[in-house]
Formats: sequence, structure tokens, C-alpha cells
Amino acid sequence: MTAVPTPNRAPQATARAWNIAGLAVTAVIAALWLTPLLWAVDTALKPESETTRIPVTWWADDFTFEAFRKVFTESDLVRWFLNSTVVAAGVTVLVLLTASMAAYGFSRTNFRGRRALLAVVVAGIMVPPQVLVVPLFREMLGLGLVDTYWAMILPQVAAPAMVFILKKFFDGLPRELEEAARVDGASPWRLYWQVVLPLSRPVLAAVGIFTFILTWNNFFWPFLAVSDPDLMTIPVGLATIQSSYGLRYAQIMASAVLGGLPLLVAYVFFQRDIIRSVAHTGLSGT
Amino acid sequence: MAGVPPRAVPGGGPPRAVPDGGPPRPTRRAVLGTALALGAVPLTGCGAASATTRVRYWNLFGGGDGALMLEMQDEFRARNPGISLEAVTLAWGAPYYTKLAMAAAGGRAPDVAILHLSRLAGYAPGHLLDPFDERLLAEFGVTPGQLPSGLVERATVGGRLYALPLDTHPFVTYYNTDVARKAGLLGADGKLAPMTGPDQVIEALTRAKKVTGAYGLALDNLDVMPWRLFWALYRQQDGDIALPPGGAAGIDDAKALKALTFMGRLTAEGLATKDTDYAGAVATFAGGKAGFHWNGGWETTTFTTAGMPYNMTRLPAIFGDARTSGDSHSFVLPHQRARDPITTRATYRFITELLKSSVTWGRAGHVPAYQPVVTAPEYLALKPQSEYRDVTPDVQLDPPAWFSGSGSDFETQAASAFQSVLAGSRTPEQGLALFKSAVDKLLSTPSPV
Amino acid sequence: MATITTRATAAVPVTGTRPPLWRRIPIGLLFVLPFLLFYAAFLIWPTLSAFGLSFFNESLTGTRGEPAGLRNWTEMLGDSAMWSALGNTLYFTLLSTPPLVLVGLVMALLTNRVMPLRWLWRLSFFMPFLLPASVMALIWIWIYQPGFGLLNAGLTAIGLPEAGWLSDPSLAMVSVVIATLWWTAGFNFLLYLAALQQIPEHLYEAASIDGAGWWHRLWSITLPLLKRTTGLVIVLQLLASLRIFDQVYLIYNGSGGPGFSARPVLEYVYDTAFTSFRFGYASAISSFFFVLIVVVSVTQLKLFPSRREDER
Repeated sequence: MTAVPTPNRAPQATARAWNIAGLAVTAVIAALWLTPLLWAVDTALKPESETTRIPVTWWADDFTFEAFRKVFTESDLVRWFLNSTVVAAGVTVLVLLTASMAAYGFSRTNFRGRRALLAVVVAGIMVPPQVLVVPLFREMLGLGLVDTYWAMILPQVAAPAMVFILKKFFDGLPRELEEAARVDGASPWRLYWQVVLPLSRPVLAAVGIFTFILTWNNFFWPFLAVSDPDLMTIPVGLATIQSSYGLRYAQIMASAVLGGLPLLVAYVFFQRDIIRSVAHTGLSGT
Repeated sequence: MAGVPPRAVPGGGPPRAVPDGGPPRPTRRAVLGTALALGAVPLTGCGAASATTRVRYWNLFGGGDGALMLEMQDEFRARNPGISLEAVTLAWGAPYYTKLAMAAAGGRAPDVAILHLSRLAGYAPGHLLDPFDERLLAEFGVTPGQLPSGLVERATVGGRLYALPLDTHPFVTYYNTDVARKAGLLGADGKLAPMTGPDQVIEALTRAKKVTGAYGLALDNLDVMPWRLFWALYRQQDGDIALPPGGAAGIDDAKALKALTFMGRLTAEGLATKDTDYAGAVATFAGGKAGFHWNGGWETTTFTTAGMPYNMTRLPAIFGDARTSGDSHSFVLPHQRARDPITTRATYRFITELLKSSVTWGRAGHVPAYQPVVTAPEYLALKPQSEYRDVTPDVQLDPPAWFSGSGSDFETQAASAFQSVLAGSRTPEQGLALFKSAVDKLLSTPSPV
Repeated sequence: MATITTRATAAVPVTGTRPPLWRRIPIGLLFVLPFLLFYAAFLIWPTLSAFGLSFFNESLTGTRGEPAGLRNWTEMLGDSAMWSALGNTLYFTLLSTPPLVLVGLVMALLTNRVMPLRWLWRLSFFMPFLLPASVMALIWIWIYQPGFGLLNAGLTAIGLPEAGWLSDPSLAMVSVVIATLWWTAGFNFLLYLAALQQIPEHLYEAASIDGAGWWHRLWSITLPLLKRTTGLVIVLQLLASLRIFDQVYLIYNGSGGPGFSARPVLEYVYDTAFTSFRFGYASAISSFFFVLIVVVSVTQLKLFPSRREDER
């Protein structure tokens, strides 16, 4: 009896084979994807003299934290980190505030030209900000803002996609609560601040996280807006400032690893929120 | 209307989002202040009340010379505790020049910066750069007379001095003394016997190739090196390039072709490395796979560290005289809206002291521009760096134009045209035609300066 | 400059004298206003001013911009460097979009299916996306080195010759595509993963009762249901790829790769504006490219009308 397989078993067996094959493929891709980062960390832990050894090896004769120590003491990474925080936080707060207000205006109020304005804003989603760097830089020159935090922050606040996402969310909120509050005589400002915003925490978090990540990692505009090394953000500083000389691959990799670390650490702590934010916000906007 | 970037909002009135003059700026300081309070960022006195004067200095020395520059900076700091020197090294090449121009346009530029002298014309002296005060320089003991006259001439625009040369860095010859000895190329003094003319050079390379079994000459075929080699060979024949704005480039075809034919011969006959990039050329020479290496003088540290037997000398006089291509790292004063006199004095002190202590700088393979240093025994004792010190008057900077100079578009275009001759994918005639059309295009673009 | 001013001020109509203006502004407009100010100042105004600037010989060095008429535009049409840069951008877009979409899809299908260690797979695929472009560039420059670079070491280990990843003009853009694939495939992966998780389980259950295997279910249920997502992912990826600048600029340190073989059009704009200081000409190129991107976006709106519905 046992020797004869039941007809059901065959598909199960193939299913298991598929499972194993799938797992193997996944593991291979994951290994490929992790290799560059691991290689960077590995290099950063080698003494400089061992980084350029041929044949290439993952194993160093003596691993050392020397490169990390040097990057900490000799580069301005800590200052760039603070600058990145200031810029990303500034942009995020301003985006959340202005975009949610605008979204509320578009979703819950009516005024002449609302539809036309909304169309103009939505059309702006198509405008790639990278194309505007020349006039934008000139504008900043004219305002005397080149080499200030403002030059980095202000243009990044104009994010029409975020208005669009929030408006869509507000559109889907039930109106009953607002109606009740309105009967009590609440002004539109109070409705916005005390009813709609608290109901929108998840989407605000999504928009906020996504904006923060994009701003934190933004290279092109901050790179143009700021030449003063004291004001550079992490991506800009890493790309422009050199803090060591001669053979320095270990140090370069150490600074790369440290430069990427803040968001990776954040990811470990807020994995769920970050993934939800990127998936949600990424698909509806950008 | 000179220099001052337009203050008004572009276009006059709008946008109304930001009041004219911009939002208040203290936030930056407030934020950094917070950082200070956190103890995370050591920020030196922004405030006027502090006793130290801040001098901000930008350079592009990322190689072995960068370490020597650090040494000079530290010596300066030790001698001048009242001056807080904030030196920053930016990545070499286009990014550095872009940042420098943008900082100067923005009006918050560093107090002093390094510029390749060949690029001065493109920096719109008077717009992006401020002139030196020669009287103040003299007060610190430096006069233009102590610097090579050719460089000073190039640094002077409209009767005013806009750049103060720190060095010249010529295209030179490195040779492996072991290989050269085995090839019978050394003279009685143990130094490379002088060679002149294309045939002698080819002969020497051939003999070196026999010894190494690989190459006679390690040559970077990519990057800007093909241009540097071409320019040296062309200038050795006293060839000139006229660059009339809006016109056509005036090039002596016969001389250019002679230079290019020689270059093509180097790779075609297997004497020089082919399709090799900078790092590859350096590695080839350091690995003993070539007897000669033509490059800037700044790789001494690399070869000394590699522990190989080598020496240096000038580029051979292949066609006529021994001119070579090169450039000069010079100090410039990027434009600032308002120069503070105290900072200015500190800046001049810094620049002049660096000139006077440029023996250290000579160790990097650059020939100091400050003549009292060149004749000093400490410098003469530097070997092999001082072997080619007499080259300065023969160093040929790029033909002056707003688009030329080290790391410029012009050099990149020229190099890519000549690179194809080295690679054998274009004949010298085709390479020259390509170069000419690229230059003509640059000439036809309206000058932005 | 002066011309722009007149044009701009003329566009503002002067209204009559009724109650104070701010009183008459509808409350809804007040909500929208702060955003609109940013939007007007940093998106609309630069867009218009780019077009305006393209008719002047404006430069960074502070020289006055003289009217140039159509000269910048005619120069651009005959500028082989511009066309080759545009070609590079398109080449990158064509080369990068298919693998970025496909790899993202494959990753999502695998992760959605393979149960154990899901967090690990998600982490490895998505992590690179969180790195700044500069970090990505530093890591890949290191990997692409000749001799002691990891990739060439791998090639020599399996008996292949080394490749000049950063020095060979025919490979220059391929190297950028590989690095970009590693860097941003995780983004498409997440988009697909989110879409996959929204497919109701009962559809699969019904199918497995019918005895359909995984492969069959993939083609008959999963992929058809992912059509809309795929459309959006492709469009987003196309638009993102067309905007390429960061990777090339950082990997080749602003040189545009060997013989400019990897310089995208945005880097040509940047070079023109900030190393040749020609703002007017750079604006002409930007405007041209801008139009191109808008055409692509409008075409995608026509092809994938889903987004337009949402706007109502």
C-alpha cells in the first residue's frame, strides 16, 4: 500500500520542489544583493595596506577599526549628519503642514478656481525638479540664499505629489464626523486640525517618512545649493570633501558605510512603517 | 556692474513667496549653536568677539601632495595660534571648479583657494575672483619679482595680479634605473644619458622594452594625458594654437601631425602601453613592466613606497627644444561681497608663509614657484624631485581661453580626439580633424566671461 | 531680465476696490495658499524662467545677459554633444528599465511565496534603496576597480579577462546600469510586494482546488492582476531613468565617463551651466528636455488612464 503513491502526492511533491527551488533562487539573489555592502564593510575593516592586495581576499590578516576611527576623527561626518537632519526634518515638517492644508482645501472646501488649481498642482507631478536646477540656482542667487540651509530646504517643499496623495486620502474619509463638528460651530481650521488630521495619522506618517527618506538622500539640489563645507549634508559631503590622502580605500569604505548607516538603522527600528510608506507613497506619487 | 551678483529677485518682482532679501538667516547659526551645545561640532568663532581670525581655504590636493599640504598647514597653525585655519580638500577635477565658481557667485566663498593658473581666464577675474593687493603682499615679504616671470604674466589681467603661483608641475620622465642600466641607457654619472630627437627616444624605448619584456614606456592613454603629451610635442616644435573667439582655431597642421604621428607610433609599435588608464600606467611602471613613465611629477610617493629603483628627469627634447606641458597651482581670492580687513591680513599671511615654506611642497614633486626656495640647499637636497627644477621656464600652460585649462572641457575634448590616435582607431589626420572641429565649436560658443 | 519682468507683472490683473482683499479670499483658498506659494516660487517660476532664460546669453559670472533671440535653440539643434548626451539618457533608460522592473517583480514573487526568513530577503533587497547615491557610488567605484576590484577579481577567478568597467567606453553605461539595478530594484520590489499582498487569497484557493500548479497560477491569476501595477511601475521607472544624473556624476566624478560615453543630458545641462557658466544655453537644453519628459508623461496618462480617474 505504502509503495503506491496516492494521486494527490505528486503535485505536493512538485510544490515542495518548487518551494525549495524558490528558496534557493531567493537566497542567491539576496546573496548577490548583500555582497556589495558586505564587501564595503569588509574593506573598511582591513588595514589600508591589505585593501589592494591581489589576489583579492575577504579575509584580512588583522582586522582593525582604524579606518572607522580615522573617519570619525578626521572627517566632518558628524556635522554632515546634523545638517542632513536639519534639512530633512525641516522639509518634512513643512511638506506635512503645507501639503495637508492644501489637500484639505482641495478635498473639503469649495471656491472658485479650485478645480483649475488642482489641475495645475497635479500637472506639477510631471515636472522633474532636476530639470529646474539652473533657474532655481539663479533664483537662489537673486534671493541671496546660496550657501544657506534655506536654499536646500525651501525648493524641496514644493512637492505636488504629496498634496495629491493626501487629497485622495481625505476624499475617502467619512464626512459624518466633520458634519457633527460643524453643527457644533467648528470653523474649517478646527475641523482640519482636530478632526481630519488626527484621522489621517497613518497617511501623514507615510508621507512624512517618504519625504524624509527622499530629502535625506537627495543629492543633486543640495549639491548645487551649498558649497560651504560647514553646511553640506551627508550625500553632498561624501561626494565633495576628501579627508584623507594617499592609499585610503578602507577609509573611503568606512565613510560610505557610516554615511549609509543612519537610514539603515532607522529601517531596522521602523521596518513596517518604512515599507508601508514607500509602497503606498511611491506608487501614488513621485 | 562688476562682480556683484544681482541682488534683486530674478525678474524683478515675483515670486512673492519669499520677501525680498530672503527670510532671516540666523537659523543656520541657531542650529549650529544647538549643535555646539550638544558638544558635537567644534565650530570656530563665527562671532566677531572671538580672539581668533578664521581663514577658510579650499584646495584640491587629494594625492600624496595633500598629505604634504596638511603638514604645511599644521606648521602654519603652530606658528599662528591667533589664526584659525579651516582647510578643506575637495574632490579633484570638474567638481572642484564647479563648486569654486558657485561659491564665488553666491558671495560666501572661502577666503583663499587653489586654482590651476591655466584656468584663470575662465574664472572671469573681477567677477568670480578678486585681485591681490600687491602692497599688502610686499608687507608680508613677497613680490611678484620673486616668482617666475612667465607665470606672473599669465596671472596678471588688466594690470592686476589675480593669482599667486605656488608651484609649477611639469610633465616629466620617470625612469627605472635598473631597467635603464641593463638597457645601457645610463651615463657615467648613473643618470639617464640625455636623448634628443624622435629616433633616439624610440631607440631607448625599444631597448627598455627588451629588458622588461613588456613595455618601454608606461603611458596613460585615457583621461587628459594624451593632450598633455600632444601639447608638449607640439610646443617643442614651437607650434602655436591661436584661439580667436568666434573664429577658427589656428593650428599648424604639419607640426601637429608630426606630434600625432609620433604618438601613434609609440603604441602601434608596442613600445608604450595601449588602452591603459592612469592607474594602469602607474601600476605598470611601479611593477617594473616598463622602463619609462611620462606623467606629472606628483607620483614620487607612490614609486618610493613601491620600493623600486627609479629616478626622474625632464621630458626629452623629442622635437627641437625641451619644452614640456604643465600647469601651476596658484592661490586665488574667490570673490566675496565684503572682505574683512583683518581676515584679509590673516589670509595674506597664510599665503605668503606657505610660499616661503614650499620646500615641503617640493617633496610632492612640484617645483616651487617662489624662487628663494628653489635655490635653497634643503630643496636641492631633495632627490629626485629637484632633478628637473630648471624646467620652470619651459613649462607650457594650455593656450589661454575661457574654456581651456587643467580639467577643462577643452582638455577633455582634445584628449579624447588624441586618445583615438593612441588607440590606433584613428589616423593622425582624423584625430587632428576631430580636435579642430571640437575647438572650433568651443570658439563659436559665446564667451560667458 | 527686464523683459521677463514686464511680462510677469503684466500678467497680474488689477482688481477694483471692494472690501479689503483678504476678507474676500475664500477660506478654501487660504488653506491652499501656503503650498501654492512654495509651488509657484520653486516649481512654476523656475519652469517659466527656464524658458525665458533660454532666449538670453545669461552667465554665472555676473555678466549681463544680452538677448540672444533663438540662437541658443538653433545652437542646441546642431550641438552634437547635446544629442549624444540625450542619446546616453535614452540608452540608459532603455537599458535599465526592463531589468529594474523584472528584477523587482521576481524579487516580489519570490518573497511573497517563500515563507522562511522573509524579513531577511526583504532587508537584503530593499536596503540598497535607503543608501544615498554617494554611498552607492563609492561602493561601486571600489567594486569596479581593475586588479583589486571585487568584480574583476571574480572574473579572473573563473578564468575570464578583466573588464574595464569604468574605463571602457562601451562598458561605461553598462556599469552604471548594474549599479543602479542594485541600488533601486528594491523600490520596485516593494511596490510589487504591496500589490501582491492585495490579491485576495480565495482566488488562489479556488485555483488550487482545480489542481492548478504554482506556475499556472502565476500566469493565470497573479500576472494578470498585476497588470495595472506593472503599468505604473514601468511608467515610474521610465520617468526616473530619464532623470538620471546622480549615479553617473558620482561614479565618474563629473567627467561623464570615458570620452563622455556615459554623460546623460542632465549632466550636460549641469556642465553647461556650472562649468562653462552658460546659463542661457543650459536653460534652452533644460527646456527642451522638459518638453520631452512632459510628452512622455502625457503619453503614459493616455496609455494608463488609471491615474486620471483618481483625480476626480
